[in-house]
Amino acid sequence: MLSEFDLEMPSDLQASLSSLPYATPLGGGTNLLVDLRARREKSKRLVWLGNIQAFREIKINAQQVSIGGGTTLSDILHSPAMAEAAPSLFNAARVFGGQMVRNRATVAGNICSGSPAADTVPPLLSLDATICLTNAEGCRSVPLDQFYTGFKTNLRRQDELITGLSWLVPNSNTANLFYKLARRKGDAISVVGVAVTVTREGDRCTHARIALGSVGPTVFRAKDAEAILAGGLLSEKLINDAAQKAMEQSKPIDDLRASANYRRHSVRVLTRRLITQAWHSLPEKTAHT
Amino acid sequence: MTDQTPHRQTEANVVLRQIGKPLERSDAEGKATGRTRYAGDYTMPSMLHGRVLRSELASARLKHLDASAARNLPGVLCVLTADELPDRLAATDIPGQTGQKRASTDRQILVREFIRHHGEPLALIAAETPAIAEKAHDLIEYEIEPLPGVYDIDSALGPDAPIVTEPDNIVGQHKIRKGNVDKGFAEADHIIENTFKTQFIEHAFLEPEVGLAWVDENGVINIRMSTQVIEHFRFIADALGVPHNKVRILGAMVGGGFGGKEDITVELYLALLAQATRRPVRLAYTREDSFLGHGKRHPFVISHKTGVTKQGKITALEVNIRADSGAYVFLSPYVLLYSAVAAPGPYRIDNVKIDSAAIATNNMYTSAFRGFGAAQACVAYEAQMDEIAKAIGIDRFELRRRNFMRTGDKTATGQTVESAIWSDECMTRALEALGEETKAEEPVKIGRGVATYQQSYGRITWLHDTAEAWVGIEIDGTVIVRSGVTDIGGGQVSALSQIAAESLGVGLEDVIIYHSDSAVTPLAGTTTATRALYMTGNAVHKASSILRGRMIDFAANELDVQPDEVDLANGQAFVVDDPSNFISLTDLAARGASEGLQRSELAMFRAPFTDPIDKETGQGPVFPDFTYGCHAVEVSVDTETGEVTVLKSVGAHDIGQAINPQAVEGQIEGGALMGQGYALSEELIYQEGKLVSPSFSEYLIPTSMDMPEIKTIILESRSGLGPFGAKGIGEPSFTPVAPAIANAVADAIGTRVFELPITPEKVVKVLSQSQTNGDLEQKLNKTPLLED
Ligand SMILES: Cc1cc2nc3c(=O)[nH]c(=O)nc-3n(C[C@H](O)[C@H](O)[C@H](O)COP(=O)(O)OP(=O)(O)OC[C@H]3O[C@@H](n4cnc5c(N)ncnc54)[C@H](O)[C@@H]3O)c2cc1C
Repeated sequence: MLSEFDLEMPSDLQASLSSLPYATPLGGGTNLLVDLRARREKSKRLVWLGNIQAFREIKINAQQVSIGGGTTLSDILHSPAMAEAAPSLFNAARVFGGQMVRNRATVAGNICSGSPAADTVPPLLSLDATICLTNAEGCRSVPLDQFYTGFKTNLRRQDELITGLSWLVPNSNTANLFYKLARRKGDAISVVGVAVTVTREGDRCTHARIALGSVGPTVFRAKDAEAILAGGLLSEKLINDAAQKAMEQSKPIDDLRASANYRRHSVRVLTRRLITQAWHSLPEKTAHT
Repeated sequence: MTDQTPHRQTEANVVLRQIGKPLERSDAEGKATGRTRYAGDYTMPSMLHGRVLRSELASARLKHLDASAARNLPGVLCVLTADELPDRLAATDIPGQTGQKRASTDRQILVREFIRHHGEPLALIAAETPAIAEKAHDLIEYEIEPLPGVYDIDSALGPDAPIVTEPDNIVGQHKIRKGNVDKGFAEADHIIENTFKTQFIEHAFLEPEVGLAWVDENGVINIRMSTQVIEHFRFIADALGVPHNKVRILGAMVGGGFGGKEDITVELYLALLAQATRRPVRLAYTREDSFLGHGKRHPFVISHKTGVTKQGKITALEVNIRADSGAYVFLSPYVLLYSAVAAPGPYRIDNVKIDSAAIATNNMYTSAFRGFGAAQACVAYEAQMDEIAKAIGIDRFELRRRNFMRTGDKTATGQTVESAIWSDECMTRALEALGEETKAEEPVKIGRGVATYQQSYGRITWLHDTAEAWVGIEIDGTVIVRSGVTDIGGGQVSALSQIAAESLGVGLEDVIIYHSDSAVTPLAGTTTATRALYMTGNAVHKASSILRGRMIDFAANELDVQPDEVDLANGQAFVVDDPSNFISLTDLAARGASEGLQRSELAMFRAPFTDPIDKETGQGPVFPDFTYGCHAVEVSVDTETGEVTVLKSVGAHDIGQAINPQAVEGQIEGGALMGQGYALSEELIYQEGKLVSPSFSEYLIPTSMDMPEIKTIILESRSGLGPFGAKGIGEPSFTPVAPAIANAVADAIGTRVFELPITPEKVVKVLSQSQTNGDLEQKLNKTPLLED
């Protein structure tokens, strides 16, 4: 049963920021309310962000995507340009929770929940997303890659909100994919999540990102594996080596959903598969625009 | 099917006007619009809220419990502990109206000293609000001392194993002996041995247990609740020490049962709290309470040893079945009987030796669950059929055909099956419906599987089952049915209304049914054992047929013809050869009333009554009859990640006669979903008896994204013992699904996962262990798939 708490519902950002130092931000509540009910979370004062004007705005132009701190997973799915502007994120949204959860759950809340299984984080890492942390004084930009400091710990200060995220739209020589491996196809916690970005110029891979979920204390980029690919002439061997490296960089645990061994195995399979798939989806001749 | 339509020509020739039509169920609109009141929707003035305090450990001694702080909390009306209760036990047996002596299955109501399973109730609270009850719950102080426990059946049988309930850990045993297995094995060309395992699973009904109790001006304890069994009122009365007529249980539409609301749940606590406080008390389980608060499906270990000739004729079968009954007996002995009787499957085998045993542990107690032991048996025998086919190199469908029982055959217990046995027809139809095989590219492989089955409907015949129903015609010609049957979502009451409508010549909308009230509606028994339509349907049919005869006699007199010239349909009694000569049912009823015609009938239907089977040989009749059918599936398996996708799912069942084909489809689709979860993803995990997956984030029921479209094929032999030749479909629709999926996965990957659920990880594991895995190894860069 939920314990008692005060709920503020400000309609502008400044008002919410001014109560923040003493209160816990409430997005869709799909983590926070669960935690309150299980008494893992003891906050007595919540600030609901759902009333803030324009907090769910999504802006996509030819170069850049930016989304507001209140953007929900359903917003991502309903944004017509998102499938092109962030294929991995779009695909993650499709396999995220169930319809009701997607309608409430926010991307910012997913990031702040800090779960290693947070499904939007591998895609956002693979897109080099930057988050905007705002307090009453102003806003600072932090690359998502630097945000996490450990299991469920991050750089966000008590008085800050994630007010937005942004990343560059992948060009036509870049493929960006995500796969969620879970024990069920709908509404399940990831056993392994893998997002990859590959840019192709002829036979060469000029840019690679491999982000892994549920195989460490935080979602993380397998940078050594990326390094094997980036700049190299891509071959089956190179892909296998990168997949092997991604597996070696994983530090999964055994839990009810799967063993650490199976997770490691799956990281290798999925990394190899996604990079191969991404590579073959790209034109051999570089399109110059 | 016509040339094979057997037996009951009398029914087959009747023109059916309501039966067999996909009518909108009478309960559909209320449920779709939210107007149906479930048990949890009822409130009363000055109602209190109940709460149960449960043990966190599975095997322990309660050293002391201090509820004084909780009792002193303002708003707390009472806290009951074992000290406040008389030293009585609660029966956990099958309830019945038969007076049959029952096995000793009693359990303590609240823990007095020994805690035997995780979640066992320590105290009951009633308070003014749920929040106060919650606070009181947290204020109860107690100390428990862990005791050694047993958590799996092997250790429970060990020489020094702690005894869960005296005298030993074997709480039920059955034997079936037929022919001579030694001779049978000597005649065999091949002997195939395998062991199959199944897991604990949860009913996961939509509506957790809930109820509201109050003591009325006559001192009767009334309990309105969500249950499959209103007739537990007797056990409640016994546990409270009051006469049976001082407890009344009223049902409501039930949000799913599947066997999980077959045993006593909240009603005992409600009765105690209402009796203690003399105020209405509501008790609603949270989902977590529900996970801890009712029995689970038994995990089974089933070993098959089958002798078979080169031609694929099974000559001998030896089966050893063991199941974890958990900490209290509940229905385990019956579940193990079902599994023993079901163990040979729908096959004709001359030499059979079957042993089954239920073993007590400190895990959660296990009890009724759709399929009731026969489902676990099917997981084993249908997997074994495919393994036999593979071992001797015969087509697996052909192997089945060569061994199927045929109409007129006897079961392994020597019972002649009275109805049609259409396993072959069902399998053929299901396979056809799979259509062309789906194409896939490496590393994805496609596989197909079927499972056939023999599943009883109706209770064990020495329980002497009966059901009553009352049918009446109002003065305006509308119809009322009264019967104690509970409706657990399968369309039970709608089907009964349809039967009455058929007999009395009115529309479904002209019938209103009053049901599930142990004091007011004639007792009809439980909605369990796929018996509701068979038993209560026959009772309604009997009552309405008698009434029909009486109305026709009366009408013949009015119309000045002989009774056999009159029919009753469309709200009229009319002369068959001259329909212009008619009288409306309204006029007929009104005239009948003024002349003192009895326009109602109370009827009892009795199932076949038999003596118990022979203890040493298991020979004799066990069930009234059986349903036969087949489920077929096609799956794809990702051989690298182990993910299984069910692509096609077809249920083909001979259900005798569909009363409402739409409701039948609902059962088959629900069975397909539940069976798929059983096969692939559902599992309750207990560690040292403690449930570590008590939520739907870990307990994974298939979602709409996991389910393919389900095809249903309804065959109608009209040979069943139910009304109009109906058989039963509630449990049968579930039983073959998991083994069909297991067989399809084995077909796809060429090796088998012998233990449900077939998780991606287990698939990868068996693939990496299998001999045939050379090329996969290579593809995966020559590193082992999984280090152990
Ligand atoms: C049934 C169910 C299914 C789920 N399925 C998935 C799934 O498939 N994949 C997955 O990854 N997760 C899943 N989740 C978890 C959860 O839905 C997600 O993590 C979701 O994105 C959380 O967002 P929210 O807006 O609901 O966050 P909240 O619960 O409101 O908040 C979560 C945390 O973030 C903080 N927070 C919220 N917004 C901000 C902000 N703008 N700035 C700073 N801090 C903020 C809160 O204070 C809190 O600490 C599921 C949850 C449920 C209940």
